[in-house]
Amino acid sequence: MTGMWMLFPLALSLAGGLAAGLLRWRSRRGLLWLTGLALAANLAVTLGLCLSPSAQLSLPAFAVSPELLILFKADGLGKLFALLFSFVWLMAGIAAFEYMEHEQDNPRFFCFYLIVGGALSAACWAGNLFTYYILFELMTLTSMPLVLHSLSHESIMAALKYLFYSMGGAFLTLFGIFLFLTEGWTLDFVPGGCLGLESLNGRELLAAFLMVLGFGTKAGLFPMHGWLPTAHPVAPAPASAVLSGVITKAGVLGIIRCVYYVLGAGLLRGSWVQLAWIVLTLITVFMGSMMAYQEDLLKKRMAYSTVSQVSYVLFGLAALHPVAYVGALLHVVFHSLVKDTLFLSAGAIIIKTGKTRVSQLAGIGREMPATLWCFTLVSITLIGIPPTSAFLSKWYLALGALESGIPTVRWLGPAVLLLSALLTAGYLLTVAIKAFLPGDGIAMEKVKKHEPGIAMLLPMLVMTVLAVGLGIWPGALLDAVQGLAGLVF
Amino acid sequence: MEWSLVLKDVCGMGLSFRVDGFRLLFAGITSYMWLMTSLFSKEYMAHARRKGRYYFFLALTYIATMGVFLSDDLFTTFVFFEMMSLASYVCVIHDEKPGTLRAGGVYLAVAVIGGLVSLMGLFLLYDQAGTLALGQLREACLPLLSGDAGERKRLFIAGFCILFGFGAKAGMFPLHIWLPMAHPVAPAPASALLSGIITKSGIFGMLALSADIFPHDGMWGFIICLFGVASMLLGGVLAIFSVDIKRSLACSSMSQLGMIICGIGMQGLLGDENALAVRGTVLHMVNHSNLKLALFMAAGVIVMNLHKLNLNEIRGYGRKKPLLKLCFLSGALGIAGIPLFNGYISKTLLHESIVEFLKLSHEGGWTLAFLSQNQAALLFRLIEWLFLLTGGMTVAYMTKLFICVFVEKNADPKVQEEYDSMGHYCTPLTAAVLAITAAVLPVLGMLPYATQDRLADMAQTFLHGLSPSHAVNYFSLVNLKGGFISIVLGGLIYLLIVRKLLMGRGEETEIYPNRWPEKLDLLTLIYEPLLLKIFPAVFGFCCRALDFAADGLILFFRRTTHRQLREPEELPADYVLPYYLGRGLNYASARFGCGKDGKRDYRQLLARRRSLSREAWRMFQASASFSLMMFGIGMIVSVIYLIVG
Repeated sequence: MTGMWMLFPLALSLAGGLAAGLLRWRSRRGLLWLTGLALAANLAVTLGLCLSPSAQLSLPAFAVSPELLILFKADGLGKLFALLFSFVWLMAGIAAFEYMEHEQDNPRFFCFYLIVGGALSAACWAGNLFTYYILFELMTLTSMPLVLHSLSHESIMAALKYLFYSMGGAFLTLFGIFLFLTEGWTLDFVPGGCLGLESLNGRELLAAFLMVLGFGTKAGLFPMHGWLPTAHPVAPAPASAVLSGVITKAGVLGIIRCVYYVLGAGLLRGSWVQLAWIVLTLITVFMGSMMAYQEDLLKKRMAYSTVSQVSYVLFGLAALHPVAYVGALLHVVFHSLVKDTLFLSAGAIIIKTGKTRVSQLAGIGREMPATLWCFTLVSITLIGIPPTSAFLSKWYLALGALESGIPTVRWLGPAVLLLSALLTAGYLLTVAIKAFLPGDGIAMEKVKKHEPGIAMLLPMLVMTVLAVGLGIWPGALLDAVQGLAGLVF
Repeated sequence: MEWSLVLKDVCGMGLSFRVDGFRLLFAGITSYMWLMTSLFSKEYMAHARRKGRYYFFLALTYIATMGVFLSDDLFTTFVFFEMMSLASYVCVIHDEKPGTLRAGGVYLAVAVIGGLVSLMGLFLLYDQAGTLALGQLREACLPLLSGDAGERKRLFIAGFCILFGFGAKAGMFPLHIWLPMAHPVAPAPASALLSGIITKSGIFGMLALSADIFPHDGMWGFIICLFGVASMLLGGVLAIFSVDIKRSLACSSMSQLGMIICGIGMQGLLGDENALAVRGTVLHMVNHSNLKLALFMAAGVIVMNLHKLNLNEIRGYGRKKPLLKLCFLSGALGIAGIPLFNGYISKTLLHESIVEFLKLSHEGGWTLAFLSQNQAALLFRLIEWLFLLTGGMTVAYMTKLFICVFVEKNADPKVQEEYDSMGHYCTPLTAAVLAITAAVLPVLGMLPYATQDRLADMAQTFLHGLSPSHAVNYFSLVNLKGGFISIVLGGLIYLLIVRKLLMGRGEETEIYPNRWPEKLDLLTLIYEPLLLKIFPAVFGFCCRALDFAADGLILFFRRTTHRQLREPEELPADYVLPYYLGRGLNYASARFGCGKDGKRDYRQLLARRRSLSREAWRMFQASASFSLMMFGIGMIVSVIYLIVG
């Protein structure tokens, strides 16, 4: 009966979300209680599922055709992502309690927030590509209202752009799904690939590439990254936190499922698809960092940073090598924690001081020390300075790339990663330094403290501690991820 | 006597530590320096703000530095090296003045860039050698070095990448830019640590490179040696020109570190016979740490009282202050390599190692593939003389500092009077710290066999060095000659260059003007334009173009082929009702002023509604009739089926 529990996040979030959206809330407190309980229950059930043995659940009643089954499966990869997603969702949700006080239409926000979270958790448990695709689309559609929340012209246009890019990506993926389905495969997720083929012909390679590019849209892969820097700055901070920290990772999960659980890594190794994919990721890594380096709007800077950092993950996946795969999965976890903290601290700065531009942030470390300490520590993490966590993932990514033996890319890849790390230092560390050390211009003693409340501080602190601590004691996480890498290679 | 400790799984790769002679020696020096500077900080930082931050990061830097010196694999070294860079940054920028922040920024930038390049080198090395453990690298790298040219080349690339980071920390030319900037602005205790021990952690990395990755490799040694020569010369010249006491000392550090680097190079060049080079390198590291500790703290006492660094302003401060004078003098004599002080011993060893190489290359025992025997002899004769010249420059700039601060009178008699009246210039604790650090120097110098030789014996196994075949007699005539030449050269430089060329007439007396051309600065001349202007401009443009690619394509299509059609301007003739109704509404809105702008044409609006509804109705009709037709066909088929069946 564990199987049924996999539907629980979706059911609970749908029910909770609809209740939040449709009921008339007399006090905000009730709404927050509902949201908080739903998020916590989601995390608890996910935790339970992660600890219980793998299970499978098929829903024949919803089958579209014998090939298109709705299938849920709790495997290791799904557990990792589900745990990460529901944890980060809870954290950003708690921060939203305080942040959304400064915005209108709270019930609508929490309604869609819960539904997207449920869809994401359920997507982690998807057992075949069709189920994953459906939940992925559900997540895309329901996350759009999070972007257009403020209903300004700018945010609506940004949400439309988000929608169109996502739809474009989804159709690319759909092309691949159709191709493989019509040739009689069920596309169930099997570690190491379910096709059982010796090699792919030209058409199938094209389909594989389109699937990667399609899911890559969500992960901000060049040239489909355009929606990120548009959608992030206009969305409320908790929404941009999860957009960047979690929803992009749904695209990553899609790519992992396609490449490692449907096709099999061996089929792509050495093909033009791998080369094109890896070149795109390297372009994205460098371009994202460079754009972030030159961007003044804080949230946009972080959106570009996400473009760059998620492509670190994709680079690791594209190397098709176990060590790089380990690095990629680790970077998924670490980047989620780091980027959520960064966006939440940007949100805290916005609601407390109204400052949105980097050039306005001189001396803000004196006003909001705890927030900026979190910001600084996770910045150091994201640059990859040991012993923090992202150093670990980059170590594995670079070693994997070197060991993969792809000509030129084997050394160019790590070099680009490090160049991007340098730019990361340029666009994050400078902010932190300016914030704490504005120089003599600003009178230090007269500064009033504007620290955000516990609801925003606590998630930031928890995620910062995790982001730094997991680098020093990665033990269980590293073992789990290495186990996952052992499955697919 | 060795201990080792492995923390498995910490930081993913596991950290490993070892205590052996060399590491024990430097862990000891680190602790000694931290103890002394912390005691000194008590008075120096007494009136500073944010003392908590300062002490916290001082302690963090200590832990990280210890981690570097005790590390047993390059991964561990790197982890602590990066921690040290970041933590020491906060100590450097303590007073938060704009100039300090700029210098600190340069320090941090060099550290971060150096760290990342080193990391790249570590990736390449790990990929090639399969290990980063210092105990195993030697066996792993020897076959690579003697293997085919490709392997050797790749190992050299990895080596240079690693060298970049460690060399930057060790003030190696051309990455020395942070040294003369960061030292003057940092609090004096932090400067002492920076110069005394943190730069040595860079040297530690270079030693590991030379001893374990490129053991006894002539080519590697030669290149390192050239870097060392460049650093020591440039450092010396900069120190002579400098008119800022702490900047002089910082440039002097660069110069002395250049000598150490030169010694590291000689280790590679001399191969199996590198005992003198090994011992000279280690001892000069030890001596330089002690010297800079004493000198920077003495300078710190002056800064603490006057808050000034410029030689013209602090001139004459040291008169009638015997303790300070003695302490500074001890350090100055030590670093200048005067016999009976500690610097002389290690400089002699380093000099002897160059002489040894010359001797060997004369005998034909050592030739380098890329240099003929004559060229090598000529080049290293030159290097020997440059080494002695650097020693001379050391004498010259230390004389300049000492005479300026402790002998000459200030240009302004009133100021001098005020200085002379400052009898109480430090607490007893500070005085004790100064006295201890300064007293160590002549002890090390007068008892080299009991002290320095033992330290060298302790440390040399780390560098795979052997004891020299015959004990060195430090005070033999041959060895004293080298020191003597340096002193003479130094005297000449001081009299002919410092006094004649670098001093100018002020209003009444001679002053120390800054004769170094402002423009001649590697940072503002090359690095900043390159990294902050050209690089972002070129790549930023390319990235902007890429970033806009997809959006731009969409925009292009929307403007051209997929342009949305305008609505028809004219109303179809048969829309009678909308026409009149719209006219009426237009009139009403114009008359009564309702409607937002009064310009809305209700005829158009209604006509659009009308055409929409007409379209919908047509579709409905079509689909209804189609369904009806399908229904009919279905009926007919069923009837036929019933009849036939």
